Amino acid sequence: MTAHSWYIENRVAFVARSLEPGEERTFQDHLVRCDDCSREVVRLERELSWLPMGAAPVAPPPGFARQIAGEILDRPSRWRRYLPLAAAAALALVSVGVSLQARGEGRELRDRLASRESRLAALEDTLSVLRRANMVLQTQISMNGHQQGGLLIFQDAVSHRWGVIVHGLPPAPAGRMYQFWFITETGMVRSVEVTADPRRPAFMTLPMPGVAAPVMGAALTMEPMGDGGTNEPRGVTLAHVTF
Amino acid sequence: MHTYLMLSADSPSGDAAPVPGDPTKPSGASRGRRQFALAGEAGLRRRLIARDEQALVELIDVASPWLLGITQGMLSDADEAREVVLETFATAWDRIGSMGDEHEALLPWLMRIARNRAIDRLRRRRRFRLKLARAEAAGELPPDQVGAVEVNEAAQPGWHVHRSVHAALDALPPDQREAVRLAYFQGLTHSEIAARLGIPMGTVKTRLRLAFDKLRTALAPIKDWIA
Repeated sequence: MTAHSWYIENRVAFVARSLEPGEERTFQDHLVRCDDCSREVVRLERELSWLPMGAAPVAPPPGFARQIAGEILDRPSRWRRYLPLAAAAALALVSVGVSLQARGEGRELRDRLASRESRLAALEDTLSVLRRANMVLQTQISMNGHQQGGLLIFQDAVSHRWGVIVHGLPPAPAGRMYQFWFITETGMVRSVEVTADPRRPAFMTLPMPGVAAPVMGAALTMEPMGDGGTNEPRGVTLAHVTF
Repeated sequence: MHTYLMLSADSPSGDAAPVPGDPTKPSGASRGRRQFALAGEAGLRRRLIARDEQALVELIDVASPWLLGITQGMLSDADEAREVVLETFATAWDRIGSMGDEHEALLPWLMRIARNRAIDRLRRRRRFRLKLARAEAAGELPPDQVGAVEVNEAAQPGWHVHRSVHAALDALPPDQREAVRLAYFQGLTHSEIAARLGIPMGTVKTRLRLAFDKLRTALAPIKDWIA
């Protein structure tokens, strides 16, 4: 730590700028903290302010004042001088904003892409069941004695799955639901609920039921809602097919 | 030599253009200088703050000889001195409105800016010592401009200040005057002066301290640079 006496001793040298560069920086740092030295430096600067006029004047070349004034006045305004910097800063801010937005949008796009890829994989998987099917069964769906659509079953022996298409079914009446069943040698096995939409077919890929008995066929019934998931159909059979 | 008054006042192009629509404004450097002397520094400062471009031309006209004097003496390079003078007036034009201390005279303020910028340039010159040594060897060192006085320059605004400062410097013992010349008018540091003069650095500090104490007293009566 430099003693304060050093600063007092070197105040004039600081004003005259005859301190070494490192000493000058040390003194400048000190001035920030020391009011006494700051006041004294201002006073010394004032007292010695005329000293530079000890240098003899030098004649400027002809037209010097006009040239210098012209160069000063022709400069871009301070605002314009800083415009490129401001523009660069604004551009950087916009870039950051765009980048952040792009990152957000990128994340959303990645999610959407993942979802699409998942759906595409499911469709390819379903299509593979249809393409590999070694047997296709088709039957009509009847409701109240009238044909209401059809049931198609694609059996894939490789993946042991069925591709099932139900079309032409009206929405299930209130309190009712459509239920798909496997028919095995030992009885009916509940599969999935079929949601009917008259505008487009219902498409399902179903694994074979986890029972030892071989599957012999399938059935579509209309069951009462909330039947407790019984293992036997209680409602009306709409379609029935056996191998 | 030292014919700057004639050159600037009688320049064919003229340093100060007439101001259209304002017959009270000067139409040439000499008229500008006369009006400047009459109006005084306060008036010039007000016009500068009001962004009067003619006032800037007048300020440059009267102050540039002094600024060129101190900067050429320090930098030993006329082109670089011109750059420093340009920077100084540009700074003054930009900051005149926030100068603050109305009691500080314009010329000392300009001189301080110019001198500080010249010293900054000197410090950036890593080869400054080499250049100085070469100039010294070739006998090209600038003359002792502190002592350069010519009678026909008395018309220059501020000349009486120059004479007063010169007298104060002349009153110093030669060793102190030399130390001041090297420190203040050549921009050398304590160690550089010690090396130049071949004396201990403590001696340099003592000489400068004593010299500046005397100069402070001697320069105190100077209040204005406009006679």
